Amino acid sequence: MKSEPLVLGIETSCDETAVGIVRGRTLLANVIASSVEEHALFGGVVPEIASRAHLESILVVLDAALKESKISLNDIDAVAVTAGPGLVGALLVGVSSASGLALGLGKPLYGVNHLAAHVSVDLLTHDEPVVPVIALLVSGGHSSLLQIDDITSSVVKLGESIDDAAGEAFDKIARVMGLGFPGGPAIDHEARLGNARAVDFPRGLTQSGDWQTRPFDFSFSGLKTAVARYLESTPKFIRADVAASFQEAIVDVLLLKALAACKKTGIDTLVIAGGVAANSRLRTLAAERCQAAKIRLRVPPAGLCTDNGAMVASLGSLMVASGRSPSQVDLEADSSLPVTSVSLN
Amino acid sequence: MEEFFFVSITLAIDTSTSRTSVAIVDEGALLWHGFRDGATSHGSAVPALVSEALNRAPIIEQVVVGMGPGPFTGLRIGIAFARTFALARLIPVIGVCSLDAIASQVHEKDDFIVATDARRREVYWAQYRAGVRVEGPHVDLPSVLVERGLPVFGEGAVKYSIAQNDEDQFPDMVALVNLAQDSDFQIDEPLYIRRPDAVPTSERVK
Ligand SMILES: [Zn+2]
Repeated sequence: MKSEPLVLGIETSCDETAVGIVRGRTLLANVIASSVEEHALFGGVVPEIASRAHLESILVVLDAALKESKISLNDIDAVAVTAGPGLVGALLVGVSSASGLALGLGKPLYGVNHLAAHVSVDLLTHDEPVVPVIALLVSGGHSSLLQIDDITSSVVKLGESIDDAAGEAFDKIARVMGLGFPGGPAIDHEARLGNARAVDFPRGLTQSGDWQTRPFDFSFSGLKTAVARYLESTPKFIRADVAASFQEAIVDVLLLKALAACKKTGIDTLVIAGGVAANSRLRTLAAERCQAAKIRLRVPPAGLCTDNGAMVASLGSLMVASGRSPSQVDLEADSSLPVTSVSLN
Repeated sequence: MEEFFFVSITLAIDTSTSRTSVAIVDEGALLWHGFRDGATSHGSAVPALVSEALNRAPIIEQVVVGMGPGPFTGLRIGIAFARTFALARLIPVIGVCSLDAIASQVHEKDDFIVATDARRREVYWAQYRAGVRVEGPHVDLPSVLVERGLPVFGEGAVKYSIAQNDEDQFPDMVALVNLAQDSDFQIDEPLYIRRPDAVPTSERVK
């Protein structure tokens, strides 16, 4: 089996059309086109607009990635694509584009899990392939704590959000505060000038009973309600303070549970991945707390945390290198693919 | 000036109706045709059928794809696949209006209409005279077609019981390829006709 496979990865599960190319664990190209500005007008991702944009952009993005990588399409060893989870119409554009490429080239096709790909992108910037790891996966659609013994085959879910995803909470609070969409970067920016201790917002599922029954699950809906209520009852609220306090509450609970998972399992490496991993406060606080707890922390650079093609290519490359069999060429996208299914047959 | 060249082996794909059709057309003759019916099975049907087609004809010289109109998700599957397949093989890909490839099978001297299912109780349609499109494509309620008093053909007509007969419902793959040889019929972008439903995910029921 090739140790440094050349893999092209396609990602279209939400609103970014992305193509990445990696050789082994070396990133050769990472090109992203986003339709986020069209969605911002509606305050959220509009599936049909996203799907149309994917079809409009995919060839342009593919072409740009090939130019950036300086490779020829014929040289690739495999095509990888996000097969789920995500918006079904959006996923189908990527999967069809990938199967067209794979059949056209006569190369194997790997339909992979978007969430596992978020974690695997870490390997492009960190040398040692440390396993097992605890992964905190936080994005607009997901908040999960995972135990990963082998990213190509063994992902165990320790817990997840029972209501909103972390990124979703950011979006909703940003909307209530009039900060626009997407909410994550807006709140991160606003919070820089605020006092994180100004308001003591609730930390969901951290009561003593919760640590017995749902130690690794998250809940952000109570926090959302608390912020909305605070804004209503405090006409002269200081926007930056509210943003900072809200952000602190989310980041605090994410790290409390992630470190508890490390302690419980005895695993001393934590990977934080997904779009919310780009949040500056999460990165800073994670570094502080991991150092104190003697946990090795690995967070991909912010640019690789949000959805991209390099993460799909990197997981594809690992699949090829570890001898996993490719997907059927007529694989079906699965919009609700569970995080424990790393790839599709 | 129009450049005329003869491309022999064509891979033809259409996903504009509930039928996924894939064919190999060689100099105007149908070499192989495979199809699968099912309004939500285009995603797996296209690569499965193309795999079969490639067993018959491993060397493809151009791709022709139906650009609709048709239900969006299925339509995009055929177009996305056709474009990247062509990119991988370094061959041209040409799009044509799928309704025209249905109309080509209809032998009516006078005006007639071709209608496919647009879901939501509507049809995509176009009007033809001597086989040539004179109006459309549009999307409308079936009653709009009834008012025209013309014979109607196609899947949409059958579904809403306004069809002349239940034959010739789906695009003819040889006709699709023939249309693509004429630059007047070549289309670059999908025929969506409808604007997208602008409902963000956050407003949807989970
Ligand atoms: Zn993501």
